Amino acid sequence: MTDTTTSTDPNEPVTMMEYFMSLAYSDIVSAPVMRFRDALMDGRLIAQQCPKCKLVYVPPKGYCPIDTIELDERNEIQLADAGTVTNYTVVTPVQYYGQKETEPFVRASILLDPPGGMLILQDILDTPIDEVRPGMRVKAVWAKKGKRNVDEIGNRSGSALEGSLLGFKPTGEPDTPAESFSDKVW
Amino acid sequence: MECVLLGDVTELRATTHTIEFPYTRTLGPVIGPFFTGLRDGKILGIRDGKRVIVPPLEYDPDTGNALKPDFVEVGPGGTVTAWSWVTEPTRKHPLDRPFAFALVKLDGADTAMVHAVDAGSIDAMKTGMRVTARFRDERKGRIDDIECFVPEGGAA
Repeated sequence: MTDTTTSTDPNEPVTMMEYFMSLAYSDIVSAPVMRFRDALMDGRLIAQQCPKCKLVYVPPKGYCPIDTIELDERNEIQLADAGTVTNYTVVTPVQYYGQKETEPFVRASILLDPPGGMLILQDILDTPIDEVRPGMRVKAVWAKKGKRNVDEIGNRSGSALEGSLLGFKPTGEPDTPAESFSDKVW
Repeated sequence: MECVLLGDVTELRATTHTIEFPYTRTLGPVIGPFFTGLRDGKILGIRDGKRVIVPPLEYDPDTGNALKPDFVEVGPGGTVTAWSWVTEPTRKHPLDRPFAFALVKLDGADTAMVHAVDAGSIDAMKTGMRVTARFRDERKGRIDDIECFVPEGGAA
């Protein structure tokens, strides 16, 4: 890290300090997330669907927090790897510690085709930022077999799947009408 | 990824994560001079009536009244008033070998400060023992400009 604030002049008073907070921890990966990881290695997305409210949880959680029902393998479903951009954010990277991006980039929420499931914070590949829009049809781009890595996917990784699912790219199909997903935008 | 064995039958898998957060903060009118002193190879306390508080505080701990920036040099020798032996240091600890975290009441101070004592072995540690600060050659104005305390007379 470049030090721009702390005076290193031995004649000047010390007025600032730097601190580097670092915390390493281990987390036992839950059984549903282990199955999710195995599926990713296979180029597939799986989820769990609550039998009561029908919500689709991807990655699978092992329970439905709304109905407080335990979910297991019997509730697991195979998801489509194509869907629709419901909304997106353009991130202009500030060069804080750990930021690897230097140019503005997109992170999009993607509603997967039936049976559904929402992936957030997905990269839209090979597409100028001003072409990304809600309703855009996209398809998953997987890392090549043998190049996939799910080691970093833990219980709290959410939709961060970069080691296996690289992102999504436009299919060129006509846009999905906004009315069909306007209740699923977040 | 690591494998963790639970009992003798179940193999669980764990992910390891590292959270890192660097930041810079201002030191203020009391810790600023204290760290400036450390950089210059001196340990400063602050006068609070008849007593000297080390490390210096901005406020009287009994009344909460602001203290005048009236600093006085203390140490580098002092007395261990309490200690705890660290058998297996982690990567975040000040020393990479077994050491003591100790309260050291520096000569001229009325309160004790926490620091590491490099005593070599737990047998060399004793409440009431005399220690002295070992400063680093290259100092930056941080608490670890004192690398550690060592037994007086270099017993370790």
